Amino acid sequence: MNFRLQTLLIVLFLGIIYFLYTGLGKDPTLIPSPFIGKTAPDFKSTDLISGKVITNKDLLGKFYILNVWASWCYGCSLEHNYLMNIYKNNKIDIIGLNYKDEKNSAINWLKERGNPYKNIIVDENGNIAIDYGVYGAPETFIIDEEGVIIYKHVGPIEQDFYNKIILPLMK
Amino acid sequence: MITEIGNILLSLSAALSLCLFSFIFLKKVINIDNCFQFSKNISLIILIFLLFSFLLLSYAFLTDNFSLRYVATNSNLTLENIYKFSAVWGAHEGSILLWVLVLAFWCFSIVLFSKRIPKKIIVDMHAVIGILLFFFLLFILLTSNPFDRIFPIPLNGNDLNPLLQDPGLIIHPPMLYLGYVGTSVPFAFAVAILINGNIKLEWLSWLRKWVMTSWMFLTIGISLGSWWAYHELGWGGWWFWDPVENASFMPWLAITALLHSIIVSEKRGIFISWTILLSILTFSLSLLGTFLVRSGILVSVHAFANDAERGIYILIFLAMVIGLSLLLYFVRSPRLITYSNYNISSKEFILLINNLFLTVTTFAILLGTLYPLISSTLDLGKISVGAPYFNFIFSALTLPIVFLMSPAIFSAWEKTNYNNLIKKLGLFFIFSLIITYFFLHYYFEVENFIIFLAIVIAIFTILSSLYKLSETRTLSANLISHVGIGILIIGITISNYYSSQYEIIMKKGANIAIQEFQIEFNDVKNKVSKNYTSKVGIFDLYNNKDYLISFFPEKRIYNIQKNIMTEAAIHSTLTRDIYIALGEKINDNSWVVRIYYKPFIQLLWLGAILMVLGGLFGIFSNLNLLKKN
Repeated sequence: MNFRLQTLLIVLFLGIIYFLYTGLGKDPTLIPSPFIGKTAPDFKSTDLISGKVITNKDLLGKFYILNVWASWCYGCSLEHNYLMNIYKNNKIDIIGLNYKDEKNSAINWLKERGNPYKNIIVDENGNIAIDYGVYGAPETFIIDEEGVIIYKHVGPIEQDFYNKIILPLMK
Repeated sequence: MITEIGNILLSLSAALSLCLFSFIFLKKVINIDNCFQFSKNISLIILIFLLFSFLLLSYAFLTDNFSLRYVATNSNLTLENIYKFSAVWGAHEGSILLWVLVLAFWCFSIVLFSKRIPKKIIVDMHAVIGILLFFFLLFILLTSNPFDRIFPIPLNGNDLNPLLQDPGLIIHPPMLYLGYVGTSVPFAFAVAILINGNIKLEWLSWLRKWVMTSWMFLTIGISLGSWWAYHELGWGGWWFWDPVENASFMPWLAITALLHSIIVSEKRGIFISWTILLSILTFSLSLLGTFLVRSGILVSVHAFANDAERGIYILIFLAMVIGLSLLLYFVRSPRLITYSNYNISSKEFILLINNLFLTVTTFAILLGTLYPLISSTLDLGKISVGAPYFNFIFSALTLPIVFLMSPAIFSAWEKTNYNNLIKKLGLFFIFSLIITYFFLHYYFEVENFIIFLAIVIAIFTILSSLYKLSETRTLSANLISHVGIGILIIGITISNYYSSQYEIIMKKGANIAIQEFQIEFNDVKNKVSKNYTSKVGIFDLYNNKDYLISFFPEKRIYNIQKNIMTEAAIHSTLTRDIYIALGEKINDNSWVVRIYYKPFIQLLWLGAILMVLGGLFGIFSNLNLLKKN
């Protein structure tokens, strides 16, 4: 057999094994966000429950979770209990971003399941979500006391989200 | 009790597989006839043990034995019995058990038809399959044991993934596995040949039968998968270039190349070294496919089960098997006697080109499949490679292959006169041009050169194969399959480019006109079934006010996992499918409805069936030959 062809096959083989190895254990659905490390975009909207005006200036000075959700969103109902747990243990403020939703169905949804949110930003046509680079609901951002996005999670959060992700970030 | 028996059976099988492997050394000490007998009996015992453990697991499913973790996570009291049975291979643990069972089945089968092959080759082939069996059984016992217990025992199971509760999916995995795992036979043969250092051409006709068997099952498996996607996913598509689809398609391309190179080696004694290498590569691609499906390192609709720990095990195994067999190949293949003189104007040269194109296509698809991984490792960003890349590569590389089918059929071994060939086939080509022109003109408008060309080539292949058939008056595997490919290509091309789709909001009682038809949306009714509830749409199809048929597309919600599944309703004739899927509910009166009009898509399934029939014919005509000898 041709020596060059032999070398090519070996390189190809080792290359494939290497790339397969590096891919192991990574989550292929993880999408990097260009927003991490940047200041959270400005917005001005109303609160779903109180109807008061709310901007991101109101949220400064404290770590908080920004959770994108909607009553039509199946994944949101999956993670809701975990958010409720974080809320009940009073660990960190959770701000909701009610994404492309109807006011009444959103309020009913919360009545049924409980409301973990300190404030809920209404984003009826999805414009705020676009500014935040949201792919879809649910998505969860962690924002520090200076208003900088330090973490982003796409899809429903897991049970140990607080202990595994938030706690190390706050330290 | 089931756990203990299951584990004992699996452990014993693993031990016996090592025995099978040991004959590679023992055959030097023990008389070869005895070795052969032992090896044969052991392979039968392994098959029986594994079959028994498989039946045991099936029994656990059918009796709702939720003390097994695997049963509890993949079945449910309300699941229909047929799906309780198919749930056995519905997730990771069971499908690997099926993998191993199929491997044991092929291992034993090769002895049954081995009269023409020296016993030492069969013993070595068994040894190779034995070590594969051992590693896979170890994999099951260490990381993916379907007999593991769960405590406390749940009262009810978590249900089978609703996507898998479909008739097409009952037989899709077993067929695919028969094909996938079947590639281990040519692999074991290649290794045995490399170990023994000599090869006789008559052995290759024996091997060809195995390659054809595996090819046929892969074809069935892939077609069933497509058929399922078309009916179940509700988007009117049948192929998505999903990594897992590619994982089954790459071995298919490689084994198709192997099928052709074996024929050349068998008839002319050339390309033997290449045939051996291709056997190794085909099996490597099968293992790679298993790895991609089971490790979940790529985003896929098939990501039913994935686990990094299991991934690393298969990866080490994969690296060892491929690495060692390539090493053996590099060291030993120069010893194989091979003739390399061939004429540029000959059948073998055309088949060489065929192999070249098939190999390049395989690697192009491999590159596209692994590219997201490569770019993320090299920090080039997260990239997904989509259909445009694959479609381009595929049509650019496949059309020449199909075009070459006709000259390959009509050319002669050793020396062929291309001038005569061109004269003969030129006429067919012109015929095909005319037929294509009128065909496309009658049904559609000619818009695109590539579409036109693809159909010309397909019709050209069909015509020349049929002519050859009338000339020789004997059916043969290649003619049947080539006609099948031609029909398949027409189906793919036309249904892809000339289909129309409508995604609209329809009110009850509303009409929509599609081509010469009118579709009326009547109502949506509720239906309650054992393990799901569904909304059933009622649509009537009219052709100029004449009522033809009603459609009942469904949107199901499965009780346990709360998954929403679309069941499309399809009305098919040879020239078109009308495909209706129920989308989202807007309000009590109106729904989003997806309607597809797909011309000639039935040719796709027809072509696939013909290809399979070709394979069947090839296998059984070979068996007849065996009996005559």
